[in-house]
Amino acid sequence: MTEEKNFYLTKEGLERIKNEYKSLKELKLAKTRGESPKILQSEDLNPEYLVFQEDISFLESRMTELDNIIKNAVLIKTPRKEKQNIIDLGATIFVEVGGQADEFTLVGSLEANPAAGKISNESPVGKALVGHKAGEAVVVSSPIQTTYKIKKIKYITS
Amino acid sequence: MKNLLNFLVEVGKLKRMPRMGWVLRGIDNPETIADHTFRMTLMTWILCCKKKLNISKALKMSLIHDLCEVYAGDTTPFDCILSRKGKKGKNIFNKWPRLSKKEKEIFFLNKCKKENKALRKITSKLPPKLRKEIINLWDEYEKGLTLEGRFVRQVDRVENLLQALEYWKKGKKFKIEPWWIQIEELVDDPLLLKFIKVLEKRFHKKK
Repeated sequence: MTEEKNFYLTKEGLERIKNEYKSLKELKLAKTRGESPKILQSEDLNPEYLVFQEDISFLESRMTELDNIIKNAVLIKTPRKEKQNIIDLGATIFVEVGGQADEFTLVGSLEANPAAGKISNESPVGKALVGHKAGEAVVVSSPIQTTYKIKKIKYITS
Repeated sequence: MKNLLNFLVEVGKLKRMPRMGWVLRGIDNPETIADHTFRMTLMTWILCCKKKLNISKALKMSLIHDLCEVYAGDTTPFDCILSRKGKKGKNIFNKWPRLSKKEKEIFFLNKCKKENKALRKITSKLPPKLRKEIINLWDEYEKGLTLEGRFVRQVDRVENLLQALEYWKKGKKFKIEPWWIQIEELVDDPLLLKFIKVLEKRFHKKK
Protein backbone atom coordinates (compact mmCIF):
# COMPACT_ATOMS: atom_id res chain seq x y z
CA MET A 1 0.00 0.00 0.00
CA THR A 2 3.00 2.32 -0.01
CA GLU A 3 4.37 4.47 -2.78
CA GLU A 4 8.04 5.24 -3.25
CA LYS A 5 7.99 8.97 -3.84
CA ASN A 6 8.70 12.22 -2.11
CA PHE A 7 5.89 13.79 -0.14
CA TYR A 8 5.99 17.58 -0.08
CA LEU A 9 4.56 18.82 3.18
CA THR A 10 4.23 22.07 5.06
CA LYS A 11 5.63 22.16 8.59
CA GLU A 12 2.08 21.91 9.99
CA GLY A 13 1.22 19.03 7.67
CA LEU A 14 4.28 17.03 8.70
CA GLU A 15 3.55 17.76 12.34
CA ARG A 16 0.00 16.43 11.94
CA ILE A 17 1.28 13.23 10.30
CA LYS A 18 3.87 12.70 13.06
CA ASN A 19 1.27 13.27 15.76
CA GLU A 20 -1.10 10.81 14.15
CA TYR A 21 1.67 8.22 13.89
CA LYS A 22 2.57 8.73 17.54
CA SER A 23 -1.06 8.35 18.63
CA LEU A 24 -1.49 5.19 16.58
CA LYS A 25 1.67 3.73 18.02
CA GLU A 26 0.34 4.34 21.53
CA LEU A 27 -3.01 2.90 20.52
CA LYS A 28 -1.41 -0.23 19.09
CA LEU A 29 0.66 -0.67 22.22
CA ALA A 30 -2.44 -0.32 24.39
CA LYS A 31 -4.34 -2.78 22.21
CA THR A 32 -1.64 -5.39 22.26
CA ARG A 33 -1.47 -5.04 26.03
CA GLY A 34 -5.20 -5.63 26.09
CA GLU A 35 -5.91 -2.30 27.70
CA SER A 36 -8.82 -0.07 26.86
CA PRO A 37 -7.21 3.37 26.69
CA LYS A 38 -9.22 6.32 27.93
CA ILE A 39 -8.65 8.04 24.63
CA LEU A 40 -11.11 5.63 23.03
CA GLN A 41 -13.89 6.40 25.45
CA SER A 42 -14.20 9.99 24.38
CA GLU A 43 -16.69 11.01 21.71
CA ASP A 44 -14.64 14.16 21.14
CA LEU A 45 -11.58 12.32 19.91
CA ASN A 46 -10.50 13.13 16.38
CA PRO A 47 -12.39 10.35 14.60
CA GLU A 48 -9.68 9.34 12.14
CA TYR A 49 -8.03 7.37 14.92
CA LEU A 50 -11.09 5.45 15.94
CA VAL A 51 -11.46 3.46 12.74
CA PHE A 52 -8.67 1.27 13.96
CA GLN A 53 -10.24 0.54 17.30
CA GLU A 54 -11.50 -2.91 16.37
CA ASP A 55 -9.23 -3.82 13.52
CA ILE A 56 -5.53 -4.08 14.15
CA SER A 57 -4.75 -4.67 10.48
CA PHE A 58 -6.29 -1.33 9.55
CA LEU A 59 -4.21 0.26 12.25
CA GLU A 60 -1.01 -1.33 10.96
CA SER A 61 -1.71 -0.44 7.36
CA ARG A 62 -2.26 3.21 8.29
CA MET A 63 0.94 3.18 10.36
CA THR A 64 2.87 1.80 7.38
CA GLU A 65 1.42 4.53 5.19
CA LEU A 66 2.34 7.24 7.68
CA ASP A 67 5.80 5.80 8.24
CA ASN A 68 6.42 5.85 4.50
CA ILE A 69 5.29 9.48 4.33
CA ILE A 70 7.51 10.52 7.25
CA LYS A 71 10.55 8.74 5.75
CA ASN A 72 10.03 10.35 2.35
CA ALA A 73 8.81 13.72 3.55
CA VAL A 74 10.31 16.84 2.00
CA LEU A 75 9.55 19.97 3.98
CA ILE A 76 8.24 22.87 1.92
CA LYS A 77 10.58 25.78 2.62
CA THR A 78 10.02 29.44 1.94
CA PRO A 79 12.27 30.36 -1.00
CA ARG A 80 14.98 33.00 -0.73
CA LYS A 81 13.71 36.56 -1.03
CA GLU A 82 14.92 36.98 -4.64
CA LYS A 83 12.94 33.86 -5.64
CA GLN A 84 9.71 34.80 -3.90
CA ASN A 85 8.34 36.34 -7.09
CA ILE A 86 8.23 32.86 -8.66
CA ILE A 87 5.44 30.33 -8.04
CA ASP A 88 6.56 27.23 -6.18
CA LEU A 89 5.21 24.97 -3.44
CA GLY A 90 3.91 26.93 -0.49
CA ALA A 91 3.02 30.01 -2.53
CA THR A 92 -0.36 31.65 -2.14
CA ILE A 93 -1.34 32.81 -5.58
CA PHE A 94 -3.80 35.56 -6.42
CA VAL A 95 -5.16 35.13 -9.93
CA GLU A 96 -7.84 36.39 -12.26
CA VAL A 97 -9.72 33.74 -14.22
CA GLY A 98 -12.39 34.75 -16.71
CA GLY A 99 -12.74 38.13 -15.05
CA GLN A 100 -13.11 36.67 -11.55
CA ALA A 101 -10.60 36.94 -8.73
CA ASP A 102 -9.43 33.73 -7.07
CA GLU A 103 -6.87 32.82 -4.47
CA PHE A 104 -5.28 29.50 -3.50
CA THR A 105 -2.17 27.98 -2.00
CA LEU A 106 -0.02 25.49 -3.89
CA VAL A 107 0.64 22.41 -1.75
CA GLY A 108 1.79 18.81 -2.16
CA SER A 109 -0.75 16.13 -3.07
CA LEU A 110 -1.15 14.99 0.56
CA GLU A 111 -2.36 18.35 1.76
CA ALA A 112 -4.39 19.31 -1.29
CA ASN A 113 -7.97 20.32 -0.61
CA PRO A 114 -9.24 22.54 -3.41
CA ALA A 115 -12.54 23.12 -1.58
CA ALA A 116 -10.53 24.79 1.19
CA GLY A 117 -8.25 26.70 -1.20
CA LYS A 118 -5.30 24.28 -1.37
CA ILE A 119 -4.40 23.08 -4.86
CA SER A 120 -2.04 20.20 -5.56
CA ASN A 121 1.21 20.88 -7.41
CA GLU A 122 0.46 17.65 -9.33
CA SER A 123 -2.87 18.88 -10.69
CA PRO A 124 -2.85 20.26 -14.26
CA VAL A 125 -3.36 23.82 -12.95
CA GLY A 126 -0.71 23.41 -10.25
CA LYS A 127 1.81 22.04 -12.75
CA ALA A 128 1.10 24.83 -15.22
CA LEU A 129 1.54 27.61 -12.65
CA VAL A 130 4.87 26.48 -11.16
CA GLY A 131 7.77 28.66 -12.26
CA HIS A 132 5.67 31.63 -13.36
CA LYS A 133 5.77 35.18 -12.02
CA ALA A 134 3.25 37.89 -11.18
CA GLY A 135 2.12 39.71 -14.30
CA GLU A 136 2.31 36.58 -16.44
CA ALA A 137 -0.65 34.73 -17.94
CA VAL A 138 -0.77 30.94 -17.91
CA VAL A 139 -3.04 29.04 -20.27
CA VAL A 140 -4.35 25.65 -19.14
CA SER A 141 -5.75 23.57 -21.95
CA SER A 142 -8.41 20.95 -21.61
CA PRO A 143 -11.10 20.90 -24.29
CA ILE A 144 -11.38 24.55 -23.41
CA GLN A 145 -8.59 27.05 -22.74
CA THR A 146 -8.51 28.78 -19.39
CA THR A 147 -6.21 31.71 -18.75
CA TYR A 148 -4.88 32.32 -15.26
CA LYS A 149 -3.62 35.89 -14.96
CA ILE A 150 -1.19 35.94 -12.06
CA LYS A 151 -1.77 39.05 -9.96
CA LYS A 152 0.26 38.42 -6.84
CA ILE A 153 2.42 35.73 -5.23
CA LYS A 154 2.80 35.53 -1.49
CA TYR A 155 4.88 33.25 0.74
CA ILE A 156 4.34 32.98 4.45
CA THR A 157 7.73 33.61 5.98
CA SER A 158 8.54 31.48 8.98
CA MET B 1 -32.50 -5.57 13.65
CA LYS B 2 -35.20 -2.92 13.96
CA ASN B 3 -32.54 -0.20 14.10
CA LEU B 4 -30.77 -1.59 11.05
CA LEU B 5 -34.05 -1.56 9.14
CA ASN B 6 -34.77 2.01 10.22
CA PHE B 7 -31.31 3.03 9.01
CA LEU B 8 -31.90 1.41 5.61
CA VAL B 9 -35.31 3.07 5.29
CA GLU B 10 -33.72 6.47 5.96
CA VAL B 11 -30.86 5.80 3.52
CA GLY B 12 -33.46 4.78 0.92
CA LYS B 13 -34.52 8.43 0.77
CA LEU B 14 -31.39 9.06 -1.29
CA LYS B 15 -33.06 7.10 -4.11
CA ARG B 16 -35.63 9.87 -4.34
CA MET B 17 -33.41 12.89 -3.74
CA PRO B 18 -32.32 14.59 -6.98
CA ARG B 19 -28.84 16.07 -7.19
CA MET B 20 -29.17 19.79 -6.65
CA GLY B 21 -26.68 20.86 -9.32
CA TRP B 22 -28.98 19.46 -12.04
CA VAL B 23 -32.16 20.78 -10.44
CA LEU B 24 -30.69 24.29 -10.39
CA ARG B 25 -29.77 23.96 -14.07
CA GLY B 26 -33.25 22.83 -15.02
CA ILE B 27 -32.37 19.27 -16.09
CA ASP B 28 -35.52 17.15 -16.53
CA ASN B 29 -35.76 14.07 -14.34
CA PRO B 30 -32.20 14.41 -13.02
CA GLU B 31 -30.17 11.65 -11.40
CA THR B 32 -30.64 11.09 -7.68
CA ILE B 33 -27.94 11.03 -5.03
CA ALA B 34 -28.19 7.22 -4.97
CA ASP B 35 -27.76 7.08 -8.77
CA HIS B 36 -24.53 9.03 -8.43
CA THR B 37 -23.31 6.80 -5.59
CA PHE B 38 -24.02 3.67 -7.63
CA ARG B 39 -21.86 4.61 -10.60
CA MET B 40 -19.22 6.28 -8.47
CA THR B 41 -18.78 3.07 -6.45
CA LEU B 42 -18.45 1.00 -9.63
CA MET B 43 -15.96 3.53 -10.95
CA THR B 44 -13.98 3.33 -7.70
CA TRP B 45 -13.88 -0.46 -7.95
CA ILE B 46 -12.81 -0.79 -11.57
CA LEU B 47 -10.24 1.99 -11.32
CA CYS B 48 -8.97 0.91 -7.90
CA CYS B 49 -7.89 -2.41 -9.44
CA LYS B 50 -5.17 -0.49 -11.26
CA LYS B 51 -3.83 1.03 -8.04
CA LYS B 52 -2.23 -0.16 -4.83
CA LEU B 53 -5.17 0.72 -2.64
CA ASN B 54 -7.34 -1.05 -0.09
CA ILE B 55 -10.30 -1.75 -2.40
CA SER B 56 -12.70 -2.84 0.32
CA LYS B 57 -12.05 0.36 2.23
CA ALA B 58 -12.38 2.53 -0.87
CA LEU B 59 -15.68 0.88 -1.85
CA LYS B 60 -17.16 1.34 1.61
CA MET B 61 -16.01 4.95 1.54
CA SER B 62 -17.69 5.54 -1.79
CA LEU B 63 -20.92 3.88 -0.61
CA ILE B 64 -21.20 6.04 2.49
CA HIS B 65 -19.78 9.33 1.16
CA ASP B 66 -23.20 10.98 0.65
CA LEU B 67 -25.22 9.34 3.46
CA CYS B 68 -25.15 12.60 5.37
CA GLU B 69 -27.19 14.22 2.60
CA VAL B 70 -30.35 12.48 3.83
CA TYR B 71 -30.46 15.21 6.49
CA ALA B 72 -27.90 17.78 5.34
CA GLY B 73 -29.14 18.01 1.75
CA ASP B 74 -26.96 18.26 -1.33
CA THR B 75 -24.57 21.22 -1.12
CA THR B 76 -23.23 22.57 -4.42
CA PRO B 77 -20.15 24.75 -4.92
CA PHE B 78 -22.54 27.46 -6.12
CA ASP B 79 -24.48 27.68 -2.83
CA CYS B 80 -22.18 30.37 -1.48
CA ILE B 81 -22.79 32.59 -4.51
CA LEU B 82 -26.49 31.76 -4.72
CA SER B 83 -27.05 32.97 -1.18
CA ARG B 84 -25.16 36.14 -2.06
CA LYS B 85 -26.96 36.88 -5.33
CA GLY B 86 -30.33 35.30 -4.67
CA LYS B 87 -32.21 33.34 -7.28
CA LYS B 88 -31.77 36.04 -9.91
CA GLY B 89 -28.32 34.97 -10.91
CA LYS B 90 -29.03 32.08 -13.27
CA ASN B 91 -25.96 33.04 -15.30
CA ILE B 92 -23.75 32.14 -12.38
CA PHE B 93 -23.64 28.55 -13.69
CA ASN B 94 -21.74 29.74 -16.74
CA LYS B 95 -18.64 30.20 -14.65
CA TRP B 96 -16.93 28.11 -11.99
CA PRO B 97 -17.44 29.98 -8.68
CA ARG B 98 -14.37 31.85 -7.52
CA LEU B 99 -13.92 32.77 -3.88
CA SER B 100 -11.21 34.17 -1.66
CA LYS B 101 -9.22 31.63 0.35
CA LYS B 102 -10.94 32.78 3.52
CA GLU B 103 -14.39 32.33 1.94
CA LYS B 104 -13.43 28.84 0.74
CA GLU B 105 -12.21 27.85 4.20
CA ILE B 106 -15.39 29.09 5.88
CA PHE B 107 -17.63 27.41 3.27
CA PHE B 108 -15.71 24.13 3.63
CA LEU B 109 -15.78 24.17 7.44
CA ASN B 110 -19.51 24.97 7.58
CA LYS B 111 -20.30 22.21 5.07
CA CYS B 112 -18.16 19.74 7.06
CA LYS B 113 -19.85 20.69 10.31
CA LYS B 114 -23.36 20.39 8.88
CA GLU B 115 -22.65 17.06 7.18
CA ASN B 116 -20.84 15.60 10.18
CA LYS B 117 -23.85 16.39 12.37
CA ALA B 118 -26.19 14.80 9.81
CA LEU B 119 -24.03 11.68 9.53
CA ARG B 120 -23.98 11.26 13.31
CA LYS B 121 -27.76 11.56 13.32
CA ILE B 122 -28.39 8.99 10.61
CA THR B 123 -25.95 6.49 12.14
CA SER B 124 -27.00 7.13 15.74
CA LYS B 125 -28.84 3.84 16.25
CA LEU B 126 -26.33 1.61 14.47
CA PRO B 127 -24.08 -0.75 16.47
CA PRO B 128 -21.18 1.37 17.83
CA LYS B 129 -18.47 -0.43 15.85
CA LEU B 130 -20.28 0.02 12.55
CA ARG B 131 -21.16 3.60 13.36
CA LYS B 132 -17.55 4.48 14.12
CA GLU B 133 -16.36 2.82 10.93
CA ILE B 134 -18.82 4.85 8.83
CA ILE B 135 -17.96 8.13 10.56
CA ASN B 136 -14.23 7.51 10.25
CA LEU B 137 -14.43 6.50 6.60
CA TRP B 138 -16.38 9.67 5.88
CA ASP B 139 -13.82 11.76 7.74
CA GLU B 140 -10.97 10.20 5.73
CA TYR B 141 -12.89 10.93 2.54
CA GLU B 142 -13.99 14.44 3.37
CA LYS B 143 -10.59 15.59 4.60
CA GLY B 144 -8.54 13.42 2.22
CA LEU B 145 -6.60 11.95 5.12
CA THR B 146 -5.57 8.68 3.43
CA LEU B 147 -4.67 7.41 -0.04
CA GLU B 148 -8.15 5.91 -0.35
CA GLY B 149 -9.79 9.11 0.90
CA ARG B 150 -7.96 11.27 -1.63
CA PHE B 151 -8.64 8.85 -4.48
CA VAL B 152 -12.36 8.39 -3.78
CA ARG B 153 -12.82 12.15 -3.34
CA GLN B 154 -11.43 12.66 -6.83
CA VAL B 155 -13.51 9.80 -8.29
CA ASP B 156 -16.54 11.69 -6.96
CA ARG B 157 -15.57 14.69 -9.10
CA VAL B 158 -14.83 12.59 -12.17
CA GLU B 159 -18.19 10.79 -11.97
CA ASN B 160 -19.81 14.21 -11.75
CA LEU B 161 -17.88 15.30 -14.86
CA LEU B 162 -19.04 12.18 -16.74
CA GLN B 163 -22.67 12.88 -15.79
CA ALA B 164 -22.28 16.54 -16.80
CA LEU B 165 -20.88 15.50 -20.18
CA GLU B 166 -23.78 13.10 -20.74
CA TYR B 167 -26.42 15.75 -19.94
CA TRP B 168 -24.53 18.34 -21.95
CA LYS B 169 -24.24 16.07 -24.99
CA LYS B 170 -27.94 15.27 -24.79
CA GLY B 171 -29.46 18.72 -24.55
CA LYS B 172 -26.70 21.38 -24.37
CA LYS B 173 -28.83 23.09 -21.74
CA PHE B 174 -25.83 24.46 -19.87
CA LYS B 175 -22.21 25.40 -20.43
CA ILE B 176 -19.74 22.58 -19.95
CA GLU B 177 -16.73 24.89 -19.45
CA PRO B 178 -17.03 25.18 -15.63
CA TRP B 179 -16.65 21.40 -15.28
CA TRP B 180 -13.47 21.31 -17.29
CA ILE B 181 -12.06 24.29 -15.43
CA GLN B 182 -12.74 22.81 -11.99
CA ILE B 183 -11.50 19.32 -12.87
CA GLU B 184 -8.07 20.71 -13.81
CA GLU B 185 -7.80 22.10 -10.28
CA LEU B 186 -9.42 19.25 -8.34
CA VAL B 187 -7.78 16.14 -9.75
CA ASP B 188 -4.13 15.21 -9.42
CA ASP B 189 -4.27 11.42 -9.44
CA PRO B 190 -2.35 10.22 -12.55
CA LEU B 191 -4.79 7.39 -13.29
CA LEU B 192 -7.81 9.67 -13.08
CA LEU B 193 -6.07 12.29 -15.21
CA LYS B 194 -5.62 9.59 -17.87
CA PHE B 195 -9.28 8.67 -17.55
CA ILE B 196 -10.23 12.32 -17.99
CA LYS B 197 -8.29 12.39 -21.27
CA VAL B 198 -10.41 9.45 -22.44
CA LEU B 199 -13.56 11.38 -21.48
CA GLU B 200 -12.28 14.37 -23.41
CA LYS B 201 -11.76 12.29 -26.56
CA ARG B 202 -15.17 10.66 -26.26
CA PHE B 203 -17.24 13.79 -25.71
CA HIS B 204 -15.27 16.47 -27.54
CA LYS B 205 -14.17 14.55 -30.61
CA LYS B 206 -14.21 16.86 -33.61
CA LYS B 207 -16.37 15.54 -36.42
